[in-house]
Amino acid sequence: MKPILEARNISIRFGGVEALKNVSLGVSPGEVLALAGDNGAGKSTLIKVISGVYHPHAGELFFDGAPLHLRDPQDARAKGIETIYQDLALADNLDVGSNIFLGREPMHRRFGVNVINRPQMRKVAREVLDRLDIVVPEKKLAGPVRTLSGGQRQAIAIGRAIYWDARVLIMDEPTAALGVPEQRKVMELIHGLKAQGVAVILISHNLHDIFGVADRILVLRRGELAGERLVKETDGDEIVRLMVGDTYAATKTATAT
Amino acid sequence: MTDISIDDQLGRIALLTRLWPWLFLLTLLTFFEIWAQIEVGRSFLFNAYNAQAILLAASAPLLLATGQTFVIITSGIDLSVGFVMGLAAVVVAQVTLLTGNTEIALLVGIAATLLVCAISGWISGTLVARLGVPAFIGTLGMYGVARGAGFLSAGSGMTVSIDNPGLVWLGTGWVPVIVTGLLLLIMHFVLSQTRFGQYTYAIGGNLQSAARAGIDVKRHLIKIYILSACFAGIGGIVYTARYAAGAANAGESMLLDSIAAVVIGGASLFGGTGNVIGTLIGALIIAVIQFGLIFIDVDAFWQFIAVGVVIILSVLIDQYKDKLVRAA
Amino acid sequence: MIKRRTLLQSLTGAATLGAMGASLPFNNLVRAAGKPVVALLPGVVDPFYFTMKRGADQAAEEEGIELLFQIPKAWNVTDQVPILKAIIAKKPDVLLISPVDKDQLIQPLKEAADAGIKVITVDTYIGEGKYQTGSGKADFPLSYVASDNTEGGRIAARALAKAIGEKGSVYCENNKPGISSTDQRMVGFEEEIAKFPNIKVLKTQYNEDDANKAAAHVAAVLAREPDLAGIFGVNTFSGMGASEGVKKAGKSGVVKIVVFDAVPGIDASLKSGLVDVAIAQKPSEMGYVGVKFASDLIKGKTIPTWQGTGFVVMDKSNIDQEDVHKYIYSN
Repeated sequence: MKPILEARNISIRFGGVEALKNVSLGVSPGEVLALAGDNGAGKSTLIKVISGVYHPHAGELFFDGAPLHLRDPQDARAKGIETIYQDLALADNLDVGSNIFLGREPMHRRFGVNVINRPQMRKVAREVLDRLDIVVPEKKLAGPVRTLSGGQRQAIAIGRAIYWDARVLIMDEPTAALGVPEQRKVMELIHGLKAQGVAVILISHNLHDIFGVADRILVLRRGELAGERLVKETDGDEIVRLMVGDTYAATKTATAT
Repeated sequence: MTDISIDDQLGRIALLTRLWPWLFLLTLLTFFEIWAQIEVGRSFLFNAYNAQAILLAASAPLLLATGQTFVIITSGIDLSVGFVMGLAAVVVAQVTLLTGNTEIALLVGIAATLLVCAISGWISGTLVARLGVPAFIGTLGMYGVARGAGFLSAGSGMTVSIDNPGLVWLGTGWVPVIVTGLLLLIMHFVLSQTRFGQYTYAIGGNLQSAARAGIDVKRHLIKIYILSACFAGIGGIVYTARYAAGAANAGESMLLDSIAAVVIGGASLFGGTGNVIGTLIGALIIAVIQFGLIFIDVDAFWQFIAVGVVIILSVLIDQYKDKLVRAA
Repeated sequence: MIKRRTLLQSLTGAATLGAMGASLPFNNLVRAAGKPVVALLPGVVDPFYFTMKRGADQAAEEEGIELLFQIPKAWNVTDQVPILKAIIAKKPDVLLISPVDKDQLIQPLKEAADAGIKVITVDTYIGEGKYQTGSGKADFPLSYVASDNTEGGRIAARALAKAIGEKGSVYCENNKPGISSTDQRMVGFEEEIAKFPNIKVLKTQYNEDDANKAAAHVAAVLAREPDLAGIFGVNTFSGMGASEGVKKAGKSGVVKIVVFDAVPGIDASLKSGLVDVAIAQKPSEMGYVGVKFASDLIKGKTIPTWQGTGFVVMDKSNIDQEDVHKYIYSN
């Protein structure tokens, strides 16, 4: 299938440090692409380029085959590229609906002025949670989201992205802060997104998660592409070897024998 | 079954912590009412004179507190409002006098005052939002600047007398109360029903998430400090109207009362919570305490203690509230 | 050394000639010729102290003295002390100062005395205000020239009693406790008002120099005592707030108001009936007497350790008279 989002030969430097060197990736609708790599391998930098936070010094982005120039994250969002950050980026003091609509509140006219359409926000909040099969009691729905569990909050962040018709969804360590049952729930959600034809880019430390949900794995090491494997053609050991590098793997093998 | 009832009970306590300023105000009024009926045989509350006096006493700190509510919701603080109010009180008198002391001159004076305040708010906001100066320090700097500017604009005295019919009208009878009430309603509407209000809460709840959601956080913060300074300016104009003289120290003792009103009204100094109606209740509580304690003839210094205790109480309840809400 | 100083001063004098007029360089040149120098350091920018300065100027001219004048922007120790230090560095012969705090200014003024500068306090005092007693406790200044605030309080009490027909309830609206001048006025007022058996004194209210608070206090006191007969506004803002409070209650002319000090505009307030009586101090007298005393000291004469400067009682009936009107403070 034709990739919906492509990055070609991306390079970016911070001061003298080359954070990304000539990295390319592509992701197709309905595909889950996992980004793996050790700390500092460049995973976060890469998704920040894709989501419009950083501007690469070299390389190009393509969306639906056409060149894509992102000035800021709003640009990316307007194209349907949504990002869910590790810390969820929810305003803890606002309710579910307010978070789903943050920055894009629906308005209607009351007393001759434009005001926020809260009934619609509440209705959509309910719909989004239902669609994701998340149970939140009615009184908590209208209360601040800080009273909800980590899994429920993660679901809100995901729900926000799909409500806004995300065509590409970037998720940074979506399960890192969750308990086991909630991790499973999030994995289910990702399967659901995939079925709906959303392209997902997933960053995770957890190989179990990656192998459970991803179609393809892209491994980064020190800002460079270390390898790209289809999940069905690889295993954990190979991915770890790609992550830590041949030298280390070689020493490890040497010690073992 | 038992679980549900415990849950309900906690929910009820949580509700109580949210409504306590109302209940407290009601308790205060009931207390003073009973005292008044027994001791002096008059009504405390159902008495146009008392009502006007309390509302008038509440209206001065309330003007400062309305802008301050927005600032505190964003987890900031504006210490400059007291002296910005003083500066405004002097500027409105000086400019009106300089431009001929007519009705038109008064409008020029008011416009110039709001402009001066907007500039001082813009400076505070820029310091806080763009230059990363902590709000406490940035607005403390502005506190000093406005203070000096106020005394300098007053010339060699501290006050500038002015006799202007339009200005006198603005300070007569219920007018200051009505002006304050109208502005309060508008700002309540802005905070609860518009994107401007929604973004104010979002910034206070999670600045980063607000920025990621596409809100121009820095611009919004600057607007909020401008708003706060302009409300202080209106406070200054009303002061000059009431006393037919602008004094550079007009708002000095109002600063703490205004912050207290916001905090008693349920805002957290950590940001994210608070609302204009709460602030109104907070200001009324302070005014009722101060009025009521004189009414029942308690020594002046008890007023300070009483207001202090209410502030401590409200902060404690605020901290406790979150735990209860989480538990419920 | 002396030569260089003279030269420098002539130069500065010449430089300011265009901007400041001819008198300043002339003064500087004369000073170099040995004109005695007296420094006047009041409490805060205020018409009261500018009026004081005019009295001082007059005496300085009569006595052939150069008067240095510096004034703090706000009433507090941290504003006044740095200016004091700068004055000490200039070594005037005599320093006239209105200390802004009776305890915290003792040490800084001791420094001045140790540097050989003769200290006279005007309007306010340090320690107990009793100088040259030999107690060694803040008695080193040579004289205290001021209104007798206790006496002023008594005058206010008599004026208020007269205005209300010597019966009814009254109360004092005050700035804040701990200020020597206003505290003494209160003491005098309470002493004297106690002599009127039909006058009841209610609790004092403190407004922290905020007219808004003073007005709110009046409202509350009136709610309790609708028959309130009079208010003593112990300083300017107390008086301003009191008259606004009375006006809002629709009791102008019914509740009598006596205020301390004759701020600019007091004549209009007296005529419109907003204020019934104003007790004016004589700051210009303080400045005048202060500089005369300074001149006496320089000539080696002894001076009294205390000199009261009296009051003028202003009301609607006499405010238009020239010898009363001139005591209104001005910038």
